[in-house]
Amino acid sequence: MLTYADRLKSMRETKIRHTLEKRAQNGYTDLDDFGTVPITKDYEVEPWYNSSNGSFYGYDGMCENFVRVIGAHPAYVDPMEMLCGRWRDMLVNYRGDLHYMPDWLKKRPKTMEFMKTATAQWSKRWDEQRFPYDDLKPLQKKYNIQTGIDGDAHFACDYRIGLESGFGGLLEKIRKYRDINKGKEDFYNAEERCVIAICDFIQRHIDKIEELIVSETRPEIRENLTKMLEVNKNIKLGAPKTFYEACQWVAHFNCASRIYTRDGAGFQLDVILLPYYENDVRNGILDDETAKFLIANLLLIDPHYYQISGVDENDRDMTNHLSYLILEAADSINISCNLTVRVHENCDREFLRRAVYYLFKNKNGWPRFCNDKALAEGYMRNGVDKKTARERIAVGCNWMCVPGKEFPMNDTVKINIAKVFEHALNDLKNEVVKSAEKLFELYEKHLKIAAEVTAAGINLHIDHCHDVTPELIMNLMMHDTIEKGLDISECAKLYTVGVDGAGLAVVADSLGAISDRIEKEQLLGWDELFGALESNFEGAKNERIRAIMSSAPKYCGGGTEADRWAIRLTESFTKIIKSTPMPDGRTLVPGWFSWARSIEYGTAVAATPNGRKSCEPISHGANPNSGFRRDGAVTAQSNGIASVQCGYGNSAPLQIEFDPKITVEEGGIDAVLSLIEAHFEQGGTLININILDTEKLMEAHKNPESHPDLVVRVTGFTAYFASLSPKFRQLVVDRFLQGM
Amino acid sequence: MQTGIIADIQRSSVHDGPGLRTTVFFKGCPLHCAWCHNPETIDPKPQLLEYPEKCICCGMCSKGCFSGAKVICGKEMSSDEVMEQILHDKQYYVKGGGVTFSGGEPFMQADFLNTLIDKCKSQGIHTAVETSMAIYSEAVISKLDLIMCDLKIWDKDIHREYVGIDPGIIRANIEKADMLGIPIILRTPVIPGIKQEIDKISAFAKQLNNVIQYELLPYHPLGTEKAKAMGIEQKEFKTPSNEYMEELKKYAYIR
Repeated sequence: MLTYADRLKSMRETKIRHTLEKRAQNGYTDLDDFGTVPITKDYEVEPWYNSSNGSFYGYDGMCENFVRVIGAHPAYVDPMEMLCGRWRDMLVNYRGDLHYMPDWLKKRPKTMEFMKTATAQWSKRWDEQRFPYDDLKPLQKKYNIQTGIDGDAHFACDYRIGLESGFGGLLEKIRKYRDINKGKEDFYNAEERCVIAICDFIQRHIDKIEELIVSETRPEIRENLTKMLEVNKNIKLGAPKTFYEACQWVAHFNCASRIYTRDGAGFQLDVILLPYYENDVRNGILDDETAKFLIANLLLIDPHYYQISGVDENDRDMTNHLSYLILEAADSINISCNLTVRVHENCDREFLRRAVYYLFKNKNGWPRFCNDKALAEGYMRNGVDKKTARERIAVGCNWMCVPGKEFPMNDTVKINIAKVFEHALNDLKNEVVKSAEKLFELYEKHLKIAAEVTAAGINLHIDHCHDVTPELIMNLMMHDTIEKGLDISECAKLYTVGVDGAGLAVVADSLGAISDRIEKEQLLGWDELFGALESNFEGAKNERIRAIMSSAPKYCGGGTEADRWAIRLTESFTKIIKSTPMPDGRTLVPGWFSWARSIEYGTAVAATPNGRKSCEPISHGANPNSGFRRDGAVTAQSNGIASVQCGYGNSAPLQIEFDPKITVEEGGIDAVLSLIEAHFEQGGTLININILDTEKLMEAHKNPESHPDLVVRVTGFTAYFASLSPKFRQLVVDRFLQGM
Repeated sequence: MQTGIIADIQRSSVHDGPGLRTTVFFKGCPLHCAWCHNPETIDPKPQLLEYPEKCICCGMCSKGCFSGAKVICGKEMSSDEVMEQILHDKQYYVKGGGVTFSGGEPFMQADFLNTLIDKCKSQGIHTAVETSMAIYSEAVISKLDLIMCDLKIWDKDIHREYVGIDPGIIRANIEKADMLGIPIILRTPVIPGIKQEIDKISAFAKQLNNVIQYELLPYHPLGTEKAKAMGIEQKEFKTPSNEYMEELKKYAYIR
């Protein structure tokens, strides 16, 4: 008889096989794993285009294509699992977005035909014919701004809404408000068709399970399939009533939401599912082993961003028995996982210790940790009450969101400050009196312009995204959307829009090196520096200048000039972003984060005074540049990053690669706990930790196939090392060696 | 103002005692272990290390080297300057971490060490030392929270040959330190090819009252590169295999 452990082993093996098959199909993907399964041979979608731009937009365009894509998805049922359903393809693949387009799709002749019509813009997700922004493009390009225009998802659903009503209840709600809000039929009809398409998706799973039961000979698996069938029948329209049903409902919703806009925001897993767990345990229909298996299955289906632990609005600890089971479940499946543990002084310390233990045990980069105090208090500074601030949970790569209420565009808007700084440097050449102070003044002047054009882009997006990419699936679990017949972009209660700066360490180290080497020590003159930068540090003389500049004490060195500049850059970035005017109650929220784009952003930036050559990657997130200290001290890095928090509830994450040679027995847990607690006491917001096995990492770097199960935390997300491009694998390895 | 010669200060150390620690490497050591992994700390004075592979051939050595090809090891620092570095990480020491004074031999600069220990104590910081026990100062050592010391070879002649002094001095100092009631971690670097007599060292450790741990540390050749940078050729020994280390551990049991 197959035990849960046997089945988990089989599920894990299937996952590893899928990872390798996906890599063969998709090529390298420097992205989250997303929980997708490989495309089947006969899978084909005929997209429907409703724009002469060669793309599709609006309620009808998005709805029709969602129905087609989810409709083309075959049922996925693995008899080893308790839950069913997987996704493999998404709408954005058909909108000319090269960034996400997988190789298998590029090989399809029809798609290639479609791509021929591509306009100059890199993506057709935005309807430029109707909502052009040519006036913004020159400055967006000048400052290497990731505009957020054409972004999608990047906010969070209130899962309670869906779990309480089920898909049938959501259909009733849509129909009820369609009758009330006359004239909004386009919206409601689209919503209705989407929900029906999800129900059809579930029905196909019901059919598949019935088919499998007939041929299943193993009694325990037959029983498993029978239960799975019952659960799927119950939740096709009905609201989930049991823990099992709730997990299955979430799994199906997540598949639909991923297919639509790749939404990966989860919820407070240990709180939302707790009533189901407690009720089932009380009724004697659920034991902990089964609950763990179900959670493991849910995490296997999709590495959504879930938060666990933390405190409620009255500062009471929310950690519960289910929180522990979730950690144990994640351990039992041990795959790419995006669980975030919320840390507060009132939280169960034993739980935190347990969470750190799993970092050591599995060395798979999970869980990560966020700081309640800095995030909640920071967010309140935007004029938000404490209850709402507490609801704002970690549900994204670097970001937080108030589920159901906020439209933050988080992680979709970034300003490459290394590029902004490059323009300031160019301006400085024309100044008679040159100084670091003058350079900073010029930088601020450019940053203000960059912030204004960024804000203009954000407003364009918010004003029109309901016409371009209405969030028909996530709208189902947002407040006031169905009730008012409005897309969430039009009716969110909170428009606290995240604007991240990227390249902090490059600019801080450049200013620090100028202060130290040119102004204090007078080792160089400005003209020599400019000459070296223009030559990209070529030639022996310029190579020496590069050595002089790059050997100056760096950001995160501890009390260095660069550290002081990093703080000043943060204060300045925060002030400029916060004071950029926004209409209609919208406000911008600053943070430091580059996501996984440090290589891409680097290609836009010429040589910088910190010794970085033209086109080399910029620094990652709020992290220091490599070689920031000879000892690579994580405590120094932690102090530095704690000092550059923007303080309005968005993050500047601490990404660390910890020495794996220290074990649990040698006090490893206490060492990491000290790090987490001290970083958070100093105001840090988010910690992503990689504890890796050097030997395994190096072997995988040489031959990725040798360890297809190796998971690394690339940035806010974890990914299979084997799926990353060689450039990205190198980046992870370099960072890791730096942290040794 | 009192100053000391410091070879390096490493933060976030996890291998020089419990928890997260700041390790202060003192310059100067009375021993001359043939396998020394920090040979740049033997000479009490600052000295030049040269790494020609890092040279960028700018031809401007006289104006200072910035490529890392010529590095001075050893810096005269005041106790306040050292404390400033130590205090950067004070918040991280709470879960059993602290400061480790290492080297070199910290007791070569006993007065400076004493001052630093006092300053750490006044800040409530846990203090440990990594010492050869070739020099003993009861007034200073008795203030520490943890003593980590080596007994490398049992036999007198072999010890003299490879380490440079009589092991009797070290053993006597360890016995004196054992009377202080301070926890001691005794260590032996395992150097294949040298008769170290782990069983005898282990038996010695067993009869002491405050040795909480007897550690066997595998030899690694990290010192050879640094010795080369100093213009010295250091003999490279064989690195012990994991199996050999496991086998030896059978003899290294304490209590």
